Amino acid sequence: MIEFRGIRKAYQTGSQTLEALRDLTLTIGRGEFVSIMGPSGSGKSTLMNIIGCLDTPTAGDYILEGRNVAGLTLDQLSEIRNKTIGFVFQNFNLLPYATAWENVELPLLFNGKNARRRRQRVTELLGSVGLLDWKEHRPSELSGGQQQRIALARALANDPPLILADEPTGNLDSKSGEEIMTILSDLWKGGRTIVMVTHDDRIAAHSQRTIRLFDGMLAS
Amino acid sequence: MNAALFRFFLNEYGKRRKKSALITFALFWGTMCVVLFLGFGQGLTSQARISFGGLGEDLIMFTGGQTSRAYQGLPKGRRIQLYPEDIEFLQKRIPEIGLIAPESYNGFAVSAGRRDLNRTVHGTTAEFAPMRTQIPKPGGRFLNPDDVRDARKVAFLGWKVATDLFGSENPVGKIFFIDRVPFMVVGVLERKLQDSTYQGPDADQIYVPFSSFGQINSQPFLSRIHIRPGDPRQSLLIDERVRTLLGRKYRFDPNDRYAIGVWNTIEDSKEFLGIFRGIELFLGIMGALTLLIGAVGVTNLMYAVVKERTQEIGIKMALGAKRRVIIFQIVLETLFIFVKGAFWGFLAAFNIIHLIRRIPLNYDAFDLGGYLLRPVFSLRTLFVFLTVVGVLIFLSGIFPAVRASKLNPIESLRYE
Repeated sequence: MIEFRGIRKAYQTGSQTLEALRDLTLTIGRGEFVSIMGPSGSGKSTLMNIIGCLDTPTAGDYILEGRNVAGLTLDQLSEIRNKTIGFVFQNFNLLPYATAWENVELPLLFNGKNARRRRQRVTELLGSVGLLDWKEHRPSELSGGQQQRIALARALANDPPLILADEPTGNLDSKSGEEIMTILSDLWKGGRTIVMVTHDDRIAAHSQRTIRLFDGMLAS
Repeated sequence: MNAALFRFFLNEYGKRRKKSALITFALFWGTMCVVLFLGFGQGLTSQARISFGGLGEDLIMFTGGQTSRAYQGLPKGRRIQLYPEDIEFLQKRIPEIGLIAPESYNGFAVSAGRRDLNRTVHGTTAEFAPMRTQIPKPGGRFLNPDDVRDARKVAFLGWKVATDLFGSENPVGKIFFIDRVPFMVVGVLERKLQDSTYQGPDADQIYVPFSSFGQINSQPFLSRIHIRPGDPRQSLLIDERVRTLLGRKYRFDPNDRYAIGVWNTIEDSKEFLGIFRGIELFLGIMGALTLLIGAVGVTNLMYAVVKERTQEIGIKMALGAKRRVIIFQIVLETLFIFVKGAFWGFLAAFNIIHLIRRIPLNYDAFDLGGYLLRPVFSLRTLFVFLTVVGVLIFLSGIFPAVRASKLNPIESLRYE
C-alpha cells in the first residue's frame, strides 16, 4: 500500500537547513493498522503529510498503491487525496459554516458525484456514525465526539482504501475517544489500511504495529 | 465546474456574515455612474443629431456672394446673385442632385384680426420641406406642387408665428394678410429642436409658394438654393460641380470661396458628431473608472476573505479540491458581491434616466436642456455596461482567487 524508499524532507529556515526526515525507508502493507509515535519534532507530522500527499519529499520515492507520487501535479495529488485517502484530524477541521450533512457531502462534490448518489452516500455515512438526526446542525452545535464522527464520515465519503488519522482522540474525552477507536478498528477489520499518529500508548495499542520515529529516522 | 458546486458555494456565501456594506455602496455608485454616463453620452449624440436635423438633413445651401479675385479680365469685388432659372440649370447638369429648391425671403408686415407683426416671409417649393425638416402638425400640410404651379395664396407657419397671429385657435383654414394680400393657412410647423438658423428659428418664419412670393416681392434674385444629394457621400462632389457650373455661367473663379456662399451641413455634422462621439467615449471611460474604484475595493475585500478563510481553504484542499475549484469559489463570491451592488446601481440609473426624459424640453430657445434632458438607455448601453462589469468582476476576483489556490495546504490547515 505505502512504500517509502530513502525519503528525505528538508526545510530551509533562513541559513539553516532542518532535516525533518532522513533517508526513511518503510513499508505499510494493505490492510495494516499502524501507529506512528515519537516525541515532538521527530518528523511524525512530516511523515503523515507526505503519506497524505499534502507535501512532497525533497528526495526519495514514495510509492502509493504502486504509483510513484513524486512526479505528480498538484491536481493529480488533489485527486489522490479525494479518492484514495481519508483524513481525520485532531481538531476535526470541519467547515464552520456548513452543516454536518454539507461537510460530509463536500468530498463527493469534489469527486463530481451526482445529486442522487450524494444523497444516498451521505445518508448512509451519517447513519453509520449514528448522527443522521444531527444532519442540519453546524459543528459548533455538536460535541467534540460528534464532530469527530462527522469528520470520520467525511473521510469515508469516497470510500478510500487508506485512512490517515492525526491524533484522532487528542481533543476528546476518554469515552468519546473510545468510540472513535472502535469505529477505526471496525474500519480496519473491514479491510482498510489505517495509519494513525498518537502520543498515547493505550490508543496505539489498538493498532497491529507501531512505528517509532526519532530525529527523522526509525527509532527501533 | 458543475452546478452542484455552484449551489454549494452559493449556499455557503449566503450563510456567512457580510462585511461588504461600504463596498456594496461603492459598487452601487460606480454602476450608477457607468450607466448614467453612458446614457447621457449617447443622449448627447442623439440630441445633437436631432438638433442638427432641425435646420436640415443631408442639406447643402448656396447663397450669392462677392468675388475676391479678378477673373477673366473682370475685377474683384463683383456681386454674384443666384436666379430662379439656376434651379433648372443645375438640376439638368448635375444628375447626382436628389432634391433642389429655391428660396427667397424678405421682411413683411403681416396681420390677422387686430394683430400686426413684422416677420420674414419665404417663397419656396414643396421640395423644401423634406430638406429643411418642415414637418406639419397633424391636420395641416406643407406647400405642395399645385400651390406653386397655380401661385395659390396659401401659407405654412412656424408654430410661434401661428400663436402670435391666432393665439390658441387652430390657424389651419384661416386667412391672414401679408402686405395686405390675403393668404390662407394650410399648415403649422410641428415643434422641433433647431440649433442653427440663418433668418432666425423656423418657429418664427412664414412660408408661401415661390410663385406667389414673386407677386408680393419685387427682388428678382434668390436668397438661397437648397440641394440634397441623392447620396450624401457625394456632397463634396456636388459642392464642387455647382461652383464650377455657376462660375462658368456668372464668370467667377470656381475656387473663389467668396464668390458664392456654401453651407455644407453634411460635412459639418460629420465633424460635430465626431466631437460628440468623443465626449460620449470620454464619459463612458469616466464611468468605468468610477466603477473601477469599487472594483479595487472588492479586490481588497477578497484578499481579506482569502486570508480569513485560509484554514477552510486548506480543509477543502485536503479533501481533494483542485486549484480551479478554489479559484471558482473566490471568483464566484466576487460575482455575488458585484451583482448585489451593481443591481441596485443599475436600477437607480435606469429610473433616473427615465425620470429625466419626462422633463419637457424648451423648444423656444435652443439651450443646454436640449442636449442634456434626453439621456438614452439602449441595448448598446446595456452591452457596454455588462462588458465593463464582466471584465471588472474577473479582474477583481482572479488575483485573490489565484493567491488562494496557491496556498500550501499544510500551512493553511494549521492557520488559526
